Amino acid sequence: MTPLVEMRDICIAFGGIHAVDHVTVDLYPGEVVGLLGHNGAGKSTLIKILSGAYAADTGDILINGEKAEIRSPRDARRYNIETIYQTLALADNLNAAQNLFLGREITTPAGFVDDDAMEAETRKIMKRLNPNFEKFAAPVRALSGGQRQSVAIARAVYFNARILIMDEPTAALGVKETQMVAELIAQLKAEGLGIFLISHDIHDVMALCDRVSVMKNGKLVGTVRVGDVTEDDILGMIILGKQPAVMVQ
Amino acid sequence: MGALARLLRSLEIDLRLLGMLGALLVIWLVFHAVTGGLYLTPRNLFNLSVQTASVAVMATGMVFVIVTRNIDLSVGSLLGLLGMIMAVTQVRMLPEIVGLGHWSTWVVAILVGLAAGTLLGAFQGWLVGYLTIPAFIVTLGGLLVWRGCAWWITTGQTVAPLDPTFALLGGGAGGTLGARGSWILAALATAAAVALQWRSRRARARHGFTVKPAWAELTLSGIFAAAIFGFTAVMVAYPVPERAAQRILERRGLPVPDGPIDMAQGIAIPVVILLAVALVMTVIARRTRFGRYVFATGGNPEAAELSGIDTRLLTVKVFALMGALTAIAAVIASARLNAVGNDLGTLDELRTIAAAVIGGTALAGGAGTIYGAVLGALVMQSLQSGMAMVGVDAPLQSIVVGLVLVFAVWIDILYRRRTGT
Amino acid sequence: MMKAYSGLAALVVATSLAGGVLAQDVTVGVSWSNFQEERWKTDEAAIKTALEAAGAKYISADAQSNSSKQLADIESLIASGANALIVLAQDAAAVGPAVDAAANEGIPVIAYDRLIEDPRAFYLTFDNVEVGRMQARAVLEQAPEGNYVMIKGSSTDANADFLRGGQQEVLQEAIDAGKVKIVGEAYTDGWLPANAQRNMEQILTQNNNEVDAVVASNDGTAGGVVAALTAQGMEGIPVSGQDGDAAALNRIALGTQTVSVWKDARELGRTAGEIAVALAGGTAIDAVEGAGKFTSPGGNEMNAILLTPVAITRDNLNVVVDAGWITKDALCAGVAAGGVAACD
Repeated sequence: MTPLVEMRDICIAFGGIHAVDHVTVDLYPGEVVGLLGHNGAGKSTLIKILSGAYAADTGDILINGEKAEIRSPRDARRYNIETIYQTLALADNLNAAQNLFLGREITTPAGFVDDDAMEAETRKIMKRLNPNFEKFAAPVRALSGGQRQSVAIARAVYFNARILIMDEPTAALGVKETQMVAELIAQLKAEGLGIFLISHDIHDVMALCDRVSVMKNGKLVGTVRVGDVTEDDILGMIILGKQPAVMVQ
Repeated sequence: MGALARLLRSLEIDLRLLGMLGALLVIWLVFHAVTGGLYLTPRNLFNLSVQTASVAVMATGMVFVIVTRNIDLSVGSLLGLLGMIMAVTQVRMLPEIVGLGHWSTWVVAILVGLAAGTLLGAFQGWLVGYLTIPAFIVTLGGLLVWRGCAWWITTGQTVAPLDPTFALLGGGAGGTLGARGSWILAALATAAAVALQWRSRRARARHGFTVKPAWAELTLSGIFAAAIFGFTAVMVAYPVPERAAQRILERRGLPVPDGPIDMAQGIAIPVVILLAVALVMTVIARRTRFGRYVFATGGNPEAAELSGIDTRLLTVKVFALMGALTAIAAVIASARLNAVGNDLGTLDELRTIAAAVIGGTALAGGAGTIYGAVLGALVMQSLQSGMAMVGVDAPLQSIVVGLVLVFAVWIDILYRRRTGT
Repeated sequence: MMKAYSGLAALVVATSLAGGVLAQDVTVGVSWSNFQEERWKTDEAAIKTALEAAGAKYISADAQSNSSKQLADIESLIASGANALIVLAQDAAAVGPAVDAAANEGIPVIAYDRLIEDPRAFYLTFDNVEVGRMQARAVLEQAPEGNYVMIKGSSTDANADFLRGGQQEVLQEAIDAGKVKIVGEAYTDGWLPANAQRNMEQILTQNNNEVDAVVASNDGTAGGVVAALTAQGMEGIPVSGQDGDAAALNRIALGTQTVSVWKDARELGRTAGEIAVALAGGTAIDAVEGAGKFTSPGGNEMNAILLTPVAITRDNLNVVVDAGWITKDALCAGVAAGGVAACD
């Protein structure tokens, strides 16, 4: 089976510092791949290359086996790559529908923004993802952390994301809301999406991910299947760069 | 109290709007009492509407500037420069080409002013958006530079009088719609307002959303109609002074009767311009992608960028729009005086910013309304005109306006804290 | 090295402090309060011409309506080697420290057009009180009875009160006799025409248009007043002004303004230049040709020359045309034939 995403031998340097140094990772449909590492390991930078915020110096990105040119967030969207940033990238003063469609508004034939149509579509998709959500008129700053997360995820899903990047999705959430996100992820997996998940929390990674790629100082330490290793193994990879026996590729 | 609250909620009227209208009413009533009943007269309200126009026009543009977390300190000086450019165009340059009093003179002059305003505004926007120089600094520089340029055009000389047709745009004698024009406008405006209201209701119903109860909708229509027709009635109740009416008839080539002439002023042209500007700006703010991106960028610039919005180009457009609106304000201000000195528009930037802020635009960015800015300008001008009528000395007027500004912003902050916006 | 420098410095200082400097070495420093206002460039041209004729050098600074900046400006003019100073004061009292600094260096100061409350300064001006009297006189002649409105200058400008005082002198008799009543009076912030227009509108509303004459203190404010009157169809009632602005002179020809008291700025500038050179050359301050004594409102007795202004009305418009102050075309724009002598 061809991978959904293959990032081959990616390098990027910022003023002499190799933020990403010859890293290769891949992602198959219906799986969640976690990206782990210390602060400054390069995982955020790597993923920003995929989402179009940065352009790699060398290396290739293949989407469904074909080479892809990703130079801006718009390019990434065209390949159905959607990103849910750690900060969620929501405009606090706009409501859920306005945020969902930000940059991609539905317009009337005359060219005016059609808020009613956007609200209708938002209601439909929120019903699927978060049926208890009611506050469609409120500005997003009035929502809870989990509700804001669900709006961000809804945005990605609505626009037919096939490849989802989630950066610290559960960092600011409580237990119940983390569970909600876990259920959402399971649902998306079942629909065939591939998800890159960046997280600090080893528990969440073990619970949510199928495979894990660990980075240290810009280099890839290794990629393992979650079922094959223990938490300690992974910790060893993060802190010491120790490659366990059961590495994949 | 509970019933009133429920009524307001079902009408879906913004509380802040009500607050401002309430404050305005209080100010009007107080001055009416203090001036012995001279303040709330058709004549004074007419004057008030004309006096408010130019600052209110600029304030609508300033809302966008402040919402995107910028500021524009140069609008007063830019107004002076644009006024001077338009004056010199219509008084010195065009008469050389097409002769005096040509019908196209005022049109070309205004187009020149609009072009210059948009270009200079875009230039400032480019400095802010692409060169990332803080807006405060760029427009502070603009405040100094444009004022100096205005002086250079005629080395300090005042240009007067202006083209007679252009001067009508200032709302002086002949610069109004008259009774018939005003009523027609009122009827059109009410019809349009009600039509839009019911169309939006139908759209919501079509999508299956909850709509206001029918009685609330009808009440709102009634309020619109009452407000529009009430305003028009007041303007029409103000008769044109005798000699001015004679001159208007002469200019139109109509016979002048011997007895008293019954000619109503109606809505002043600067006010019509203001209403048109406010309408267009409101549509832009709420129903265009540009307006949506303005508010998104103000709320979270990073989110806007990540959503694919070109925030740098957006900044250029916002300042260009401000420049164009300043040109329109310059038309009103210079036509009203029928002269342009190089000090035209001095301190207008402060009045414009104050109007926007009193009207609820948060300096932190991301929030503001067009109608708020217009009301803010009206509140400020009501205060100043009232004090001038009572004979309060200029320095004391400045103190009062300053205090009101700080007080209004404090109230706004409290309101935001209470409602969590 | 330092010794040589200090010796050289001492020599330079000694030379500059020595009295009786030759005219060729004279530098005259001019401190403008706000060069942006329309009339001052005329003054500047006249001062420069007079200085050139005497072979002296001209340096200047613009305080941009800021008293503190004016102090700094004067200090820098002194440091640049001015032998005499011509000062258009932003504020009569606040400019005191600058006069101190000049006096310490033995540099004579001319108070140009605006008073400086300091007996060490030479006061050269048009008689501003006389200007006020002329304004009131011309208006009173056209409207010997009725309701009067006084549109004054900026409350921060001493001249505004001088003018008002002169106007009051002339009107007092008629006021006492009950023939003239002042129904409205307002300062005009910053002398801005737009402010004058707004104030006039409010006064007209307050008095239900029962106004028969307006004594405005300068042509800019007169312009605002005429705009307000025109909107009410009242243009043509007597309005006064000052400065001889082109727009105002045109209004006089058209009949919407009664008088503009013209102070030939060229005469003032020329006189200032000549006196500056004379004072720098060693003439004593009380020995200046044509000078008299003047008692300021602050009680200072000053040496002064008060030039006589000219009241320009419809009848003597040819004076400004003949003097080359305004072209006949600019004066007569829009004037119907046969209406005004100077335009035919």
